[in-house]
Amino acid sequence: MAPNHGPFTKTNHQIPISTRHQPTISTTGVSTGTSTRTRDSNIVSASGTDLSILTQFHAGYFRISLALCSQALLWKTLAEPTTDAHALSGIVRTIPSFAFILLWLIALLTLLLLCSLYMIRCFLRFRNVRAELAHHVGMNYLFAPWISFLLLLQSTPFLRPSSQLYRVLWCAFSVPIIALDVKIYGHWFTQGKKFLSMVANPTSQITVIGNLVGARAAAKMGWRESAVCMFSLGITHYLVLFVTLYQRFLGSDSLPAMLRPVFFLFIAAPSMASLAWDSISSSFDISCKMLFFLSLFLFVSLVTRPALFKRSMRRFSIAWWAYSFPLTVLALAATAYAQDVKGVMPNVLMLVLSVLSVVVTIALMVFTAFKTHDILPHDDPFACYSIVRHIST
Amino acid sequence: MEKNELQVETPSVLKQSSCQNIRGFDCVDCENGNDHSRLGNATSDKESKKESVASSENTKLDGQDIVISIPPMTSLSAFSLSLPSSPSGLHIGQTKLVVQQEKCRNTNQNNPANLNPQVARQKQFRSQPILVAEGTKRKLVRSETMRDSRFDPFKTWLGKLERQISNLRGMPTEEEDLEAGETKRHETEEAPGVDRYFDALEGPELDTLRATEVSVLPEDEKWPFLLRFPVNAFGMCLGVSSQAILWKTLDTSPVMSFLHISPMPNLILWWASLVLMVFVSFLYLLKIVFYFEAVKREYHHPVRANFFFAPWIACLFLSLGVPPSIAANLQPIIWYILMAPLFLFELKIYGQWMSGGQRRLSKVANPSNQLSIIGNFIGALLGANMGLKEGPIFFFAVGLAHYMVLFVTLYQRLPTNATLPKELHPVFFLFVAPPSVACMAWAKIQGDFDHGAKILYFIALFLYMSLAVRVNFFRGFRFSLSWWAYTFPMTGASIATIKYTMAVTNIFTRSLSLCLCAISTLTISTLLVYTIIHAFVLRDLFPNDISIAITKKKPKFSKMLAHFRSSSSDRKDIDSSISKGLEI
Repeated sequence: MAPNHGPFTKTNHQIPISTRHQPTISTTGVSTGTSTRTRDSNIVSASGTDLSILTQFHAGYFRISLALCSQALLWKTLAEPTTDAHALSGIVRTIPSFAFILLWLIALLTLLLLCSLYMIRCFLRFRNVRAELAHHVGMNYLFAPWISFLLLLQSTPFLRPSSQLYRVLWCAFSVPIIALDVKIYGHWFTQGKKFLSMVANPTSQITVIGNLVGARAAAKMGWRESAVCMFSLGITHYLVLFVTLYQRFLGSDSLPAMLRPVFFLFIAAPSMASLAWDSISSSFDISCKMLFFLSLFLFVSLVTRPALFKRSMRRFSIAWWAYSFPLTVLALAATAYAQDVKGVMPNVLMLVLSVLSVVVTIALMVFTAFKTHDILPHDDPFACYSIVRHIST
Repeated sequence: MEKNELQVETPSVLKQSSCQNIRGFDCVDCENGNDHSRLGNATSDKESKKESVASSENTKLDGQDIVISIPPMTSLSAFSLSLPSSPSGLHIGQTKLVVQQEKCRNTNQNNPANLNPQVARQKQFRSQPILVAEGTKRKLVRSETMRDSRFDPFKTWLGKLERQISNLRGMPTEEEDLEAGETKRHETEEAPGVDRYFDALEGPELDTLRATEVSVLPEDEKWPFLLRFPVNAFGMCLGVSSQAILWKTLDTSPVMSFLHISPMPNLILWWASLVLMVFVSFLYLLKIVFYFEAVKREYHHPVRANFFFAPWIACLFLSLGVPPSIAANLQPIIWYILMAPLFLFELKIYGQWMSGGQRRLSKVANPSNQLSIIGNFIGALLGANMGLKEGPIFFFAVGLAHYMVLFVTLYQRLPTNATLPKELHPVFFLFVAPPSVACMAWAKIQGDFDHGAKILYFIALFLYMSLAVRVNFFRGFRFSLSWWAYTFPMTGASIATIKYTMAVTNIFTRSLSLCLCAISTLTISTLLVYTIIHAFVLRDLFPNDISIAITKKKPKFSKMLAHFRSSSSDRKDIDSSISKGLEI
């Protein structure tokens, strides 16, 4: 029997499986029908009923919502009057404002759709959700819906930051982030199997990004103390995580090749920190600049290493959506930089990065539209875990 | 693989000497040699030949002169037989065997070869010492007319040109030589993986060959000068140019004006460092041109790779220390030109830390990595001096982030990290350099010596003190050229102290800066004396650079090598070294 546990092969100590096989496609564990499966057919069926497709959907799909919501925020920022009146903002201002509202609404609808699908999954496949919470890659994506909601909140054209509804919504979205923080960061240094050195992987930066997005939203609202609190949470754990990821202990090689696009999260974390500190200190001071430059350096460093991503680019998968969000956040930071430091170079940088992020997002949307089959969940990567747990216990 | 391992152990030596000159190799045990040939003739099979060789080796193990004959498989002419000086009939027999061997290799058939008598005659004189066995004191008498091609694998295409020239000059047997060289070059095209460096080398600078390893180049001879010229030589430029900056600071700071330093020391030191830099760069450029393989191996060495930052840092030092009489303000374009290669190197090295499989930081981290970090801070300092705004902040940010990572890693002294020396070594002084130059860069970027700069300065001072009180533990290390690179941090700390004194002026800080300047000047002068002594009196300033001559694969006969490497013939030593070789 060859259990189909997807790409979480090499060093996953949580799964006491002795046999493993190479997945033919792996995103966060989606396998194609060509892999052999001899398990309980209720969980996996090659044909797949509609219900099973709905419930096989996992948190990695929230990458789509992250990408779209950050795009909405980018467009809103570019259209701001404080952005320097150069070519880019000229173009941006010619686009009628209803296009922004449309984009925001599309992002909102996508997010609501994904959330409802995930709720269905929670109700019907709770065991798998629990398994997902326990997995070192999957657990980080549980931050993704809340991050998307916060981004939408910041980019909404309907609410003002000082309004009561805004604050209520902020609380509603930040409390889950803090709760997840307590759980996951607590694991990092207390629970034996989930020590940071064992579970650290580039997706862990999503936890940091969650804190920083909450901090930025709070700063925009005027709640300075909450903003600084969430910022300090985020930046401290970022420090620890950055060092750990760079050291690359043997145990941290547990990221499958298909998930290499998440390396772009290295770019997203310092950019988000730069934006958050910019909102807190209300000027793009030297720390913001340093964080932005670090992010820029990491971007150049990753872009000049195409070999790293070659394997993951062979086939379209949900992991490709991981490219969009970090690029958008980098473009946002470049915009904030250009707003503060006026000059040719910052504006060129802002232009290039914004165009890149828009192009990448549009390309991903086109790919998704044409290759929907590749991106739909064929299989629940976390299903086998619950089964194996039952078998082994 | 057999083929490869045998290949690497046999550099080919072409010589025209008669066998009688090769004492202990060709002439001793002529009977065994005859047995060789007979055995070989009977089967003309590679495996049996090896068996016969092995058996002959076993018989020779009892204290006789040690001959190891391991025929390499690819080079046509490079094989070893115990060739007795005997009547030509036997020679023909030997060469028939030889040519048969080659034919077997080439065509997988056992056809007797058509003997080219000239080839045969040349082949019989060709023998090669494969290993440097301490037991034998082999004196190779190389004929003047034969070119030494042992170092060919390390030469670039210019080496081929050299060969053509020697062809034209009429030196014999170049075709086989060419082929041998070609195959060897092919074999050495890729540098050894990083694991090989860790397996084969030891020592705080990874420059000593382990007892069970073999060098691909002969160890008992002095290699060509360029092959012995390491990239660490740029450390000298670092040391001297940092002194120039120190004396410039002493001259221009108002707080130290009580010393009444003239601009002369700065001028002299700056010119000296400029000349030295040009000289060293020229020599290293020659090495790149003539021995590119050696440069490639140095680049892949986990410790030496960091010294490739040293030329650019030295140029930055030169720009920082330029005497006011020569150029008051430098053009910003110089900054861009100097920082561009630094940036590209950084992309490579830091990217490897983040995502490169073999060269993860937890494995390769060593104190010399701080050389790469220092480049960022020095660049930021120079840019801020020139008045640039964003560029210095960029490099400072990148340097700071990676310094944090490296500092934590080095402080952790992870068990997976093999390169940190257990005992103190001058390389530890490199710990002082990043915080001191970072503090100066930050002070310049911010405009004044604020809290951030003070924090960095105190960290540098603390590290300096904790090493200075342990100076007794730095004894007993062999002097090497890289020590220059380890002493420039002292100068950096002195300059940082002077800047601190400018911000916080009292008797204590003044005396501290005076003290540190004196220490650094004294250290540099001592180093200079040592260098001159080693260069001209002892003549061992540039020893054979073993760390670039490691084999690409672990030698299979390591237990045999372990035996031969041990200088005593004591059984126990042999056994222990054999067992050590087996373990590794």
